[in-house]
Amino acid sequence: MTTSRWLEALAGAGINFVAGVPCSYLAPFFAACESLPPTALLRATREDHAVAACAGAWLGGRLPLAVMQNSGLGYCLETLSSLHILYRMPLPMLVSDRGAASDFEEHRFLGQRARALLDLFEIPWREGAPGEEASLARWLVAAAREARCPAVLLVGREEAP
Amino acid sequence: MNRSDAIRICLACLAADDIVVASDGAISREVYAVLDRPRTFYMLGSMGQVGSIALGLAMTRFERVIALDGDGNFLMGTGGAAMIGGVKPANLYHLVLDNGVYGTTGGQPTLSRQVDLAALALGVGYRWARRCFSDMHAPGAVEQWLAARGPAFLALASDEPEERPAPRIPLTPETMATRLRAALEEG
Repeated sequence: MTTSRWLEALAGAGINFVAGVPCSYLAPFFAACESLPPTALLRATREDHAVAACAGAWLGGRLPLAVMQNSGLGYCLETLSSLHILYRMPLPMLVSDRGAASDFEEHRFLGQRARALLDLFEIPWREGAPGEEASLARWLVAAAREARCPAVLLVGREEAP
Repeated sequence: MNRSDAIRICLACLAADDIVVASDGAISREVYAVLDRPRTFYMLGSMGQVGSIALGLAMTRFERVIALDGDGNFLMGTGGAAMIGGVKPANLYHLVLDNGVYGTTGGQPTLSRQVDLAALALGVGYRWARRCFSDMHAPGAVEQWLAARGPAFLALASDEPEERPAPRIPLTPETMATRLRAALEEG
């Protein structure tokens, strides 16, 4: 069975609903998600629908997690603004950090502006670091709950443990 | 039939523990004006997401979840409709109040007269879907829709808006969200 340090850490921090669109950087995470109960995993068609479903799951009593490539942040901005931020709903998010100078051209423009975009939308974020998954997962959940808004972990390529 | 009448027909069929998600704009305001309850969530923005929010609720709750959508809103959220059809929650009921126009922006036509909304819902995997253009048959259609196994879809044709829209809802967005979550936590 595939395991993922991120999924283990986030589940340990209380996450019990996951909705997202896959990223190759997070292949172990998405593979591990396949063993979640059917009512705890939503294979979303687009990132904005994923975060909207997370809002529904939070209203239903869960602690949801939205997962996506950083390109998906662009699709999400209106939904995050007029749903999670407006209604003050917590939303932990795991977002792959693509777009380095060595990355493909199509990932660079939005990828290199993701941090500025999050700052502009007043969304707290931190960078993921291998070996610190448990403490970062706890930070993510606490930040989203305390500010009652989205919070983001920007993570690099996850190596299968 | 005007849209308020269509909303009244639907709300009259609700069970006490049904969860309602009302789409942004005039639909939320009209639902609030007809019947406010803690188990109703009123969207103010995030157009196109009523089905996705309802899906998140339907996956995590055992009660019926009723999504009250508009035609422009539904057409914007077809990817969310595909998620509903794929997940197939038996407790999700999706109603489109289909007036054929973007009402809150001045009545510009949507594509609802060119698109077969019920075929779309069936095509992505809803278990039951119907479109009703007749005022006379609307109450029966609502009854059949809520008796079907979900996910079930009904589009009810309504007139273009003419009356003044209902006033803004006098609740803060935070109150709308927290009172629904609290009502569900209480069981």
